[in-house]
Amino acid sequence: MYDLFFQKFNEKVQLTGEEQVQILDHLTFKKLRKKQYLLQEGDVCKAIAFVEKGALRAYSVDENSAEHIIQFGLEGWTIADLYSFLTGEPATYNIDALEDSELVLISKTAHEELLQTMPKYETYTRLNITGAYLAMQRRLTSIIGSSLDERYQDFIALYPHIAQRVPQHMIASYMGLTPETLSRIRRRISKK
Amino acid sequence: MTQTIAIIGASGNMGSALAKSLSKGDYRLLLCANNLDKVQAVADEIKRDNPAANVEALDCTVDASWEADIIIAAVPYAAEKEVAERIRQVANQKIVISIANLVNESFDGAVTAPNTSAAEELQRLLPNSKVIKAFNTTFAADFATPVIDGKQVDAFVAGQDEEALQTVSELVRVAGFNPIVAGDLSVSRTLEHMQILLMQLTLKYNYNWLAGWKILHQ
Repeated sequence: MYDLFFQKFNEKVQLTGEEQVQILDHLTFKKLRKKQYLLQEGDVCKAIAFVEKGALRAYSVDENSAEHIIQFGLEGWTIADLYSFLTGEPATYNIDALEDSELVLISKTAHEELLQTMPKYETYTRLNITGAYLAMQRRLTSIIGSSLDERYQDFIALYPHIAQRVPQHMIASYMGLTPETLSRIRRRISKK
Repeated sequence: MTQTIAIIGASGNMGSALAKSLSKGDYRLLLCANNLDKVQAVADEIKRDNPAANVEALDCTVDASWEADIIIAAVPYAAEKEVAERIRQVANQKIVISIANLVNESFDGAVTAPNTSAAEELQRLLPNSKVIKAFNTTFAADFATPVIDGKQVDAFVAGQDEEALQTVSELVRVAGFNPIVAGDLSVSRTLEHMQILLMQLTLKYNYNWLAGWKILHQ
């Protein structure tokens, strides 16, 4: 239910048993079934979700009702609409489950309480946000300056086993390509 | 966004009345009880009356509570402890609604000590949950008829967490009652005794188990 959460936490910041209990008291455990929403555009994002098991995606919908995938959240990842979570403004992303999933949620209230009472949680948060910033910079650089083949290889390096779990059209959506273009890239790379 | 509510003890009088009533709102209901057949029958009945209702029967209290955003413990006070032990972990940080009355079997007194209430005892058992008292001053039949003699029955809500009180007040409104936030969780002592009085008067004056509280005010 929370083993992976604490495993990942301890990789970033080592906790004592007591500190672990203190954090545990603040966590919310939530099961989602495939296709169920964690967050819908327009609602305020009230929690950060750690994926203990399963897979989620965050996506936005444009004016032509096309979906653009911003991020996948697989086991060990954290997923949220950080903008909405931090500002309290309505979310611009939707987050839903691609598989039956088990999540560890940290609500805004719990997050703020832990930030104030526990320096190690503050460190954990800083490392998480830094990681998210670096990931975003990588993604931006890749979109702006890399060839399509490089972009696909970057993507596979980031999400190694995702092709087996997520339909091709979603990967195409994440990369901002049509499914046809993506399949051409895949063919080209496999021939190399 | 649609909230998921687990109703534990959904085949009982109060549990099934609550389930039927809340199925009219934008909620996803997970009904659970020890006897899956009984609770499946409640779910089937709801779907027969309202095919659009988002309701499902489950036999696992823990799984239902794990999926839920809000948990309603629709069980008698005597069963609350056992339920609490089972759901303690998955109920962490979630709203848990205590509807129990601490009345004894002959309806003439309380089963808890005078300086506590069923809701406070549940909060003690679930220290990391947001326990809210609600629906304890309403009879099961009131859910089908929340307006009695032309007046909408009041339903009192008590608890510590402001946001949770608002969420539960909305739930009370969906069920057809007039929600009144009565105060913090210790007000449950008064609310639970109000129900003992209502039960005693119902027996004495034969209200036929369709009665409720209404505060008249300017």
